[in-house]
Amino acid sequence: MPTPHAAEQVFFNDPAIDRLMGVTMALATEVYVLRDRLRALETQLTDKGAVDVQSLNQEVAPDALAQHQADRDAFVAHVLSPLLGKASSLGIQP
Amino acid sequence: MSTVNARAFSAAQDFLLGAKKFWTTQMYPQLLEQERAQASGAKVPVQERVQSNDLYPFYAWMERHLQRMKYAGRYGLAPLHETQRPALEAALARQDVPTVPHFAVPAYYPSFDVHQHPGGLMGDSLAGFVYERGARSTTPLDKHFDLHHRFTRQVGALTTPRRILDVGCGFGKSTRPFAQQFAQAEVTATDLSMPCLKLARHLDAQENITHVRYLQADACATGLNAGGYDLVTSTMLLHELPVSHLADLFVQAHHLLEPGGWTVHLDFLPQVQPGADGFSHFIHAGHAVRNNEPFMQSLAAFDLKGHLQSLGFTDISITPFAENDQALDTHYPYWRFPWAVVQARKAL
Repeated sequence: MPTPHAAEQVFFNDPAIDRLMGVTMALATEVYVLRDRLRALETQLTDKGAVDVQSLNQEVAPDALAQHQADRDAFVAHVLSPLLGKASSLGIQP
Repeated sequence: MSTVNARAFSAAQDFLLGAKKFWTTQMYPQLLEQERAQASGAKVPVQERVQSNDLYPFYAWMERHLQRMKYAGRYGLAPLHETQRPALEAALARQDVPTVPHFAVPAYYPSFDVHQHPGGLMGDSLAGFVYERGARSTTPLDKHFDLHHRFTRQVGALTTPRRILDVGCGFGKSTRPFAQQFAQAEVTATDLSMPCLKLARHLDAQENITHVRYLQADACATGLNAGGYDLVTSTMLLHELPVSHLADLFVQAHHLLEPGGWTVHLDFLPQVQPGADGFSHFIHAGHAVRNNEPFMQSLAAFDLKGHLQSLGFTDISITPFAENDQALDTHYPYWRFPWAVVQARKAL
């Protein structure tokens, strides 16, 4: 007989992967919720003539991309810097 | 205060349904294909082969957690219904369902959250609504409610009942097809869960079905009149019962049937499926654990035919059931429940 609210089932050899899968799927759900919201906003704004979706879908010109390069680089660094394994604070040796 | 809104809920649930469809049509077939490639001449037991497949933990994780996310968490069925509590409770307050004398909830029933439904089917007044909404997306490839009509038509080919008892009726999803197909019959439906029974009456009213009598009763000890029915049926109840209750259910069915009456049950039995093998049994056993179904395996191991024979039933058959036109093809590639029909007749 299962015990209510017992520890969650584990499927991977390393239980950390189970938990990371949970985080990843929760984030994927949030992304899809945002996509749906954005689609709804675009539809309503288009219907009211406030935005031109065709224009929004055009490839962005290099000059325009360049204006946001710093933001892009900061975004990339935020997402990928954990891969480097470097501490961001002075600490003690474990 | 909850931040969920109905649009975000529907988008999140749609994503989860899409993920379940991917699991059903991409992950499971790949696992099956790889198992078949490895199985030929293999000396390693099937469970070891499958568990050593890199895909398997992802397959198992998705089965477990897509269900969890469907019911619980920020965009789950339970929190959404919480935001609608006053209106939903008001709708149920108008429904009156009697409880049979000497009714008692079996101890096993509230001891776990079936289907990962938080609180189970009796833990909250809105449990029926949550369960009903969840049942709409149980199987991403089939309209889950169609199979109830398929089952009812199959029963109709066997008999034209005049007094029907549908046990473990839940929110009436199995009962309404019987009430519609056999409009002249007296229909009684029972369940342990009062929230589900009240929702059943509420949904019946929406479909102008007025001739179903709902009762809160234990299917294994209904207290109803002996010989009062010519059909005792259930849908997806057998696998919810511990072995002792499973045995009692058929004793009760025999008691309630008139001579010549039929007992017919739609449930899950992997051993009668076309092409059943060690892999399909392993997958089914894993599903039972991952979906909080503690009695699915004991049903699969139970000697139904022997038990029915011992009770004096005749015309016993246990056959696979096709929930869609392709489902029983030996090479059907997608994940499916091992649907089966158990039927028997009380001797004249």
